[in-house]
Amino acid sequence: MENSIAIQVKNVSKQFKVPTKGQKNTLQERFLNPFKKTHYREFDALKNLSFEVKKGEFFSVIGPNGAGKSTLLKIVSGIYLPDEGEVKVNGDLVPFLELGVGFNPDLSAKENVYLNGTILGLTKNELDEYIDEIFDFAELREFADMSIKNFSSGMAVRLAFSIAIKVKSDILVLDEVLAVGDAEFQKKCYDYFDRIKGTKSILYVSHALSSVEKYSDRVLWLKEDKSYEIGEPEKIVNAYRNAE
Amino acid sequence: MISRNDIDLYKQFVKTIFKMRYKGSILGFLWVLLKPFFMFLILYVVFSSVSGQVGNLTSRQYAVYLLSGLIIFTFFQEGITWGMNSIMERADLILKINFKRDIVVISALTMALINFGINLLIIAVIGIVLGIHFSVLGVAYILLIGLIMFLGMYGISFFTSIWMVYLRDLTHITELVLQLMFYASAVFFPVELIPEKYRFIVELNPIAIFIQSVRSALTYQKIINLEFVLSSLVVVIILVIVGNRYFKKKVLKVAEHF
Repeated sequence: MENSIAIQVKNVSKQFKVPTKGQKNTLQERFLNPFKKTHYREFDALKNLSFEVKKGEFFSVIGPNGAGKSTLLKIVSGIYLPDEGEVKVNGDLVPFLELGVGFNPDLSAKENVYLNGTILGLTKNELDEYIDEIFDFAELREFADMSIKNFSSGMAVRLAFSIAIKVKSDILVLDEVLAVGDAEFQKKCYDYFDRIKGTKSILYVSHALSSVEKYSDRVLWLKEDKSYEIGEPEKIVNAYRNAE
Repeated sequence: MISRNDIDLYKQFVKTIFKMRYKGSILGFLWVLLKPFFMFLILYVVFSSVSGQVGNLTSRQYAVYLLSGLIIFTFFQEGITWGMNSIMERADLILKINFKRDIVVISALTMALINFGINLLIIAVIGIVLGIHFSVLGVAYILLIGLIMFLGMYGISFFTSIWMVYLRDLTHITELVLQLMFYASAVFFPVELIPEKYRFIVELNPIAIFIQSVRSALTYQKIINLEFVLSSLVVVIILVIVGNRYFKKKVLKVAEHF
């Protein structure tokens, strides 16, 4: 793979089998109905998709629900395996499919910073160094010893985001992270985008078309019929708006 | 390749499991000590007289006999169960983040190992109170057996943690098998109690052999079954290597089956 490329997706296809009836997940079901076939409904999540994200590029993915956006992110993040084709990643990749992954409601905010931060690839030493900044940025300093279960959802998101922006990896995969917060939180996110744009490679999925237009270098439009278009943000987003 | 972050993540997982396991209970960590202690007390009260008649054990010897059996078996039970459940239990994380999956397996096994270590200390205390002398060689032998069991269960968990995702019945099957193993390992009764023609069950059961070896090392400072113990060390190392390869391959497919 060329050195100027961060993510390479080549001819990737992914099919899911959803059991419609007769799913045999336990032995009872297998013994009682040994001859009953499990019926699957197969559907293509992705079909023969290829694209590249260059180093430092802000690459967005748009498309209707069911077009395969989340599946794509999971494949790129190494959570799902593609049925066909391959994905190559050049560098450290951290997926943000959700903020606050691994947050444990019974642990204190501080314990959760260490837990979540480590899950996101930071070391304990780095977290020792960042912990004050994280709480300051989240404006939650006086709640550091409180259990997360007593946090409002807004507070939890603020904490999660403050940890997330400390992540060092050079490739980020972001799935609708902006959908969870209020206007003030979204502004913080956009400030963060401004700051990292050009320094990190970003694969971003969003329904917020205005942000896609503003930040992206290129946009991938996944369609329901599994065809796709890649191009300039303005052109693709407009075409997508008109198609809807 | 193991990175600094992998080690920190491992520590975080172990810490979290530890904190969560005893959270919300007033006695908290004390339960680690109390549970095996009460189990010991119950079995001791019920069986100590029988053992004296059948197995020629003094009540002191029976106490150590029972404790070592219980502790080895508890280690086995916890390691097998927790290792098997480890992947399923962290499904939430596995669906969101691309960390090294084997960290959750080794974390679960580590929890079992920590409990085992604590239980060994209890044995030591009780043994000293009862005036039993521990030989260095005996203690080393017990630690070696602990290591072999740890590796063996780690190797097994590479398989069972994956199978568990596809077949939830494994919980119940394992429970049954462990129950059977408990009786087939002569944990709380003297081996002499088993009729001659069924004694092969104990003689062929590795857990029973480990328990007998630990007992003999503790009570009589005598190393027995050395050949078996050393060859099982080779077997478990192979099991870990083979299991690790199986796991690395299969775990990539696991996320879509939760």
